[in-house]
Amino acid sequence: MTEITPDSLGLVARVAQLTKSYGAGSTAVTALDDVSIGIRKGEFTAIMGPSGSGKSTLMHIMAGLDTATSGRVWIGNTEITGLQDTELTMIRRRRVGFVFQSFNLVPTLDIEGNILLPFELDGRKPTSGERGWIDELVGSLGLADRLRHRPHELSGGQQQRVAIARALGSRPELVFADEPTGNLDSRTGREVLSLLAASSATYGQSIAMVTHDPIAASYADRILFLADGKVVEDRTRSTAAEISEYMLGMESRS
Amino acid sequence: MNSFSFREHRPSILVASLSAAFGVSLLQVTTNLALAITSNDVLGSSAALTVMLQVIAIVFIVIATYVGAVVTANTFSTIIAGRTRTIALLRLVGATAASQRRAVASEGLMVGTIGAIIGTIAGSLVTFGLVLVGIALDFIPSIGYTYLEPVILIPIVGVVLTTWIASWVGSRRVLLVSPMQATGAALEESREEAAGHKGRNRFAFVLFLIGTAILALSVVVGMQSPVGVLVGVFGGIISFTGLILGAELIMPPTLRLVGRMLGRSPAARLAAENAVRYPERSSRMTIGLVIGVTLVTMFAVAAATFQKALSPMADAADVDPLLNGIVAVFSVLIGFSALIAAVGLVNNLSLSVLQRTRELGLLRALGFTSRQLRQMVTSEAAQLTAAAVIVGLVLGIGYGWVGAQSFIGTAPGVEGLMAPVIPLWLIGAVVVAGATLTAVASVAPTRRATSIAPVVALSVE
Ligand SMILES: Nc1ncnc2c1ncn2[C@@H]1O[C@H](COP(=O)(O)OP(=O)(O)OP(=O)(O)O)[C@@H](O)[C@H]1O
Ligand SMILES: [Mg+2]
Repeated sequence: MTEITPDSLGLVARVAQLTKSYGAGSTAVTALDDVSIGIRKGEFTAIMGPSGSGKSTLMHIMAGLDTATSGRVWIGNTEITGLQDTELTMIRRRRVGFVFQSFNLVPTLDIEGNILLPFELDGRKPTSGERGWIDELVGSLGLADRLRHRPHELSGGQQQRVAIARALGSRPELVFADEPTGNLDSRTGREVLSLLAASSATYGQSIAMVTHDPIAASYADRILFLADGKVVEDRTRSTAAEISEYMLGMESRS
Repeated sequence: MNSFSFREHRPSILVASLSAAFGVSLLQVTTNLALAITSNDVLGSSAALTVMLQVIAIVFIVIATYVGAVVTANTFSTIIAGRTRTIALLRLVGATAASQRRAVASEGLMVGTIGAIIGTIAGSLVTFGLVLVGIALDFIPSIGYTYLEPVILIPIVGVVLTTWIASWVGSRRVLLVSPMQATGAALEESREEAAGHKGRNRFAFVLFLIGTAILALSVVVGMQSPVGVLVGVFGGIISFTGLILGAELIMPPTLRLVGRMLGRSPAARLAAENAVRYPERSSRMTIGLVIGVTLVTMFAVAAATFQKALSPMADAADVDPLLNGIVAVFSVLIGFSALIAAVGLVNNLSLSVLQRTRELGLLRALGFTSRQLRQMVTSEAAQLTAAAVIVGLVLGIGYGWVGAQSFIGTAPGVEGLMAPVIPLWLIGAVVVAGATLTAVASVAPTRRATSIAPVVALSVE
């Protein structure tokens, strides 16, 4: 084994020379252009950039939801480039968690059913340790008296918290969140972000979050900036003001 | 305001065409059959026979048209569900709910008219073909047959009107769309159809009770005289009407029961939930099939029970072929209604899977394999079909038995109550038809559900 594994670098996910283009010929769009980055284990990483810069595309490919045009992708030590659909599905099921901007929950399942869905998909019941963790999550997210409700009976912020409980409940290697606070008011948004930050700080949960919002990104340990499908900046924890300033600079440079 | 979309209404046009074609062709066939039978009869007038055959034909046409209308109401309500966002936007900028609903109803009128025209042409062609084959095979004499009797206006006008009404009924949902739904990514709400039909359900229940009481009476009367069967027909119509109106009371629990039998795998569990997600829609989706299975079963069980009672008697052998013939013809005629119901089920399942693209994408993202997705859709189809078949069989056996019992209670050799005779072919046919329907109904939606990539599904609005 001469190859360096992502794991030995302390990475929970990695992409190398990743390119993604849509369409062909004159109408071709390059969403990602030769991107190589790693997401570090136990960190809360924010991915920022202007609209259309390729943030969602990057997240989808890293999470095995979409395939790259060229380049390689790893989750932990598993290279997922070229895996079959079923194998990719198993990775998503067992090793990653998701929080999307909206429509995160299965409308026909109640809140508890939604939170336990990853276990159910895996054909198993949570162990008593996992059960305890889920109860703790549910309690701290203020969802304890909502477990029997259906998603449409909850507010947007509550639905988002359920999605977080689901994503964290099975303690996946990596949680992906695409604009998890995009649809929330600022107070609810802050709650959700503190929760993500806390789970990373307290339990070492690795999180990759796509966001537009400098305030949201200020909760992260590390911030990656994308522009035109390229990583243009990689910085450690910054204040919202610093992030805004950098983004303004980005705009004037382009 | 809403431009008429052929693609969107193709299923409803198909259903209206089938109903119209069935009605037109059946009336043409019966008219021409009467002509053929009486053509070499010196006594001559075919009028009485024609009227009699036509009355019987119209009973079947009414059943088919009714089933078609139920299917169309459902299709419209599903289409409206998919348009919620657009309707909400129009409401937001000031359109009234009533005007929106009228627009939908005018689409219904259009669908009915197009369907009636296509159906009339197709039905006449079928009749023409049948006549040619009949003459070629020497079944019927080569005389002048008619196609454009005024009586065929009954099914034509009937289809236009019922489709129109069905679109009106199906568009009730428009009234429940609030302008608020245009804003935000409102989750699909399910309060809509939950808004009850308490009055209707109570009425249905009372009808069913009265009808059942009359059915019981018919069995008692049948012990004294075969007239009991007439009482039974009356009771049957009343109680069955009650059952159809109260479908919402019967189908969802049955669907739940069947859903539980599908197992506890995630795919089966979600399928079970989906099948009862919109109780009214699922009830309407299955009730047409229930009607078909009930009637076919009823005739088959009644005839088999009747034959068993007669079997000790000398002339039983003479009656058997006639009875079998009648059961066969009736089964085919009712089978057509079941076919329309099946078309409706297939369409509605496809449509509802289409509207769930986003949800399917979410499931795929969370780790549903495409195989599980396929299982889910197939289970849903199986559940709908099985629930309809089970209810239909139970009802059909009940009605068939009452019919036979009330008619032959006084026959020699029959003492007290007979057990219903359930022909094996019937069970076989129903199971095969149900399995076929499940398979056909899941083809398009499963292909669609599994062919689209999770990212694409997730990005659907
Ligand atoms: N299915 C697709 N077909 C064609 N082009 C696409 C497709 N998906 C994304 N793109 C293009 O790829 C580029 C990157 O898109 P992506 O969704 O990753 O951007 P984003 O950074 O997430 O933007 P936003 O902040 O607006 O969500 C854009 O130019 C977009 O138009
Ligand atoms: Mg995006």
